[in-house]
Amino acid sequence: MTHSETHRGMKIIGIILIIYAALVATHEGEFWPFSIYPMFSQAGNPWTRAMVMDITDRSDDEMWVRTTLQHKAGEPVPVFNYGVDQIDFSNFVSKTEDWTESRIRAMHTMFGGENIGENRWMVAKVHGRMVGADSVTVEIEPLILLTGDDAVLNPDYR
Amino acid sequence: MSEKWYQKIGKNLFEPDRPVSSGELIFFKLFELFVVYYTIRFVWEWALYTQLRNVEVVLPLGVANYLDVTLFFDHHIAPVLAAITTLLIIFCFFRYGPKWLYMVVLVLFHLLYVIRFSQGEIPHSQNLIGMSVFCFAVGAWFFPGKDRMPRFVLGSIIFFIGLGYTSAFFAKLIGTGIHWFDGRHLWLWISEKSIDILSRDGVYQPNFLQQLALNSTAVASVILLIGWFTELIGFTMWWKKLRPYTTTLLILMHFGITMVMNIRFDAFVMQLILVGYPWYLLIDRFTKELPPWLEKIIYRGFS
Repeated sequence: MTHSETHRGMKIIGIILIIYAALVATHEGEFWPFSIYPMFSQAGNPWTRAMVMDITDRSDDEMWVRTTLQHKAGEPVPVFNYGVDQIDFSNFVSKTEDWTESRIRAMHTMFGGENIGENRWMVAKVHGRMVGADSVTVEIEPLILLTGDDAVLNPDYR
Repeated sequence: MSEKWYQKIGKNLFEPDRPVSSGELIFFKLFELFVVYYTIRFVWEWALYTQLRNVEVVLPLGVANYLDVTLFFDHHIAPVLAAITTLLIIFCFFRYGPKWLYMVVLVLFHLLYVIRFSQGEIPHSQNLIGMSVFCFAVGAWFFPGKDRMPRFVLGSIIFFIGLGYTSAFFAKLIGTGIHWFDGRHLWLWISEKSIDILSRDGVYQPNFLQQLALNSTAVASVILLIGWFTELIGFTMWWKKLRPYTTTLLILMHFGITMVMNIRFDAFVMQLILVGYPWYLLIDRFTKELPPWLEKIIYRGFS
């Protein structure tokens, strides 16, 4: 590369930077592969994730009760074993506000009725937040009951 | 006449005074092979996942804001796009086709990313491979030829890697403020990631470093501060003499993130190792001439 080509190279990088800035500025920081890399930029906020628990042995009365992580209603179902991407699953659950019939069915499709069989699996939201100055609390909110042939939304869910 | 600051950066990125060596061309082709391999791997992973799992768009990214990508969820359209991308990038590697062919690959790569990641997740571990394909596309178009394309492609990749890390520092400073490195923030992230692992695998056990961080706010704060500072100095990669040191710090930072947050960046770290050190010097010590097959590909160039 000559000196003049180097100069031209920097000019092209400058033009790309303008396009880069325009795209990320108008698309909330992301226009793949351009990004402002905002991961972990908002620290200290409460978070919500998701998990599935096997509650086959639990009674109907206990099913929809909120618990802490330590007193969870059943053992976690490892979603990886069913070919589900944990991050996708978690985002699907935590970012959905309006649980329409099709969204509830999508949850059932994600895990597959044949995998659930005779068991009862509970899809739950998991909420974490700081309590006081020096501890984190984690709470489990039951959301959707999955059985081999059905999916039922928590009747108390708003 | 004194040089302007951007001219100095340009000289450090593109090194106009250094003649092109065999080692540099061999390294460049190996690096291109690395990018081609990961591109093919990613597009197939995304396409097959889309075909099996995607049902609805939860979060539209990129062109998915303007195009209904549910059209690509069924009828094997995503795997067909992956197959076309694979074919085109192999043509690009062997320099068959027009010089804008890499740009077509980039568009298909972007499309497959927004189709696959329409489910709410915004991963960044594939961004460096995406930026590399972008730099190959610009380099092939505006700087074709063996003397110019390798310098522009690698120089621009280094520029955007450095920019990305420093940008991440400022995103945290703006998003949270100067107290971003408060160790209790790390406690929240560790607990968040622990749920992801518990849900994914069914079990979770904190490792030694996580236990240290969870037992002491001071230790957690120091971990965050070191990582944050390393991001800030990411742009020093632009200077040739500093590049190996900055790269080493960034690799160590990624190792730390993997330990503390259970987030792996395999392609990211491998790419840092490849572009952050002057490997061509090592290859030059053993090779004085280009192998004939490689010479044929490199000299062919795009039509």
